[in-house]
Amino acid sequence: MTKKKTSAPKKRSGPSSHRHTHAQGHCADLLRQLSAYIDDELPSDICREIRRHLGACANCEVFIASLQHTVTLCRHRPAPQLTSVDRMNMRRAILDAANAR
Amino acid sequence: MYRDHVDLIYRYAHRLCGETESAKDLVQETFLNAYQGLKDFRGEAQVSTWLYTIASRACIRMRRKRKGEPEHELSLEEFVPTSEGEFRLQIPIDGLSPEEALQNKELRQALDQAIDKLPQKYRMALVLRDMEGLSAKEVGTIMGLNERAVKSRLHRARLFVRRELSARGITHHDDHKSGGLRS
Repeated sequence: MTKKKTSAPKKRSGPSSHRHTHAQGHCADLLRQLSAYIDDELPSDICREIRRHLGACANCEVFIASLQHTVTLCRHRPAPQLTSVDRMNMRRAILDAANAR
Repeated sequence: MYRDHVDLIYRYAHRLCGETESAKDLVQETFLNAYQGLKDFRGEAQVSTWLYTIASRACIRMRRKRKGEPEHELSLEEFVPTSEGEFRLQIPIDGLSPEEALQNKELRQALDQAIDKLPQKYRMALVLRDMEGLSAKEVGTIMGLNERAVKSRLHRARLFVRRELSARGITHHDDHKSGGLRS
């Protein structure tokens, strides 16, 4: 497993009040690649292009931060654990079922 | 094999099923199938990968029996925000460690519910990759998919959970300070 940092994506310099139609063009293209970006699976030139876009588009920057937070929460969500009694009871049930088949 | 892997498979089963009794049923079904198939196991994969595969198949069978309805596909287009407001929905964990954030009961429940709402094939990809911590290649082996398909499902699953979480409008709580909120 590749452990990822838990903070939001790095801050970049540049204007953040850029306005455009987010459902089209760069923003929509970026959304398709965000998981690969978060998982460090994209070539460096595409990462650079994405960083440049994020530096100019506050909406996409917020969006990627929330997606990164989602992944972080999933990675850290603890799962309930079995008690030793549960382990023993289930083992017995499995053996009984195996013998019955 | 049971002693070494039961905790792993229970954790996976609980994450897939979302509740205790179904998770226990899935664990029993998994080990029963594993014992019956043990003679055919050639050791080409790790035992844990083999058990994850058996558990995944058993889960699909059990769910199909219970629900019987076809699963819907998630399209990427449905996750492209159409308004400034949708773009800017946030998940309130800035400044908190993930462990602290998850002590917020509302956030924890929203996360569990969002994962539970995912169609099964997307949930399985998310659970294996982001919660169990397996590589895309391992997830592909378990789910019988190539890596590209795994990544595609994972991306849609993450976008779905992100939308569900942010749309809930969860605010910062001080639950982690009062404690006692772990399930």
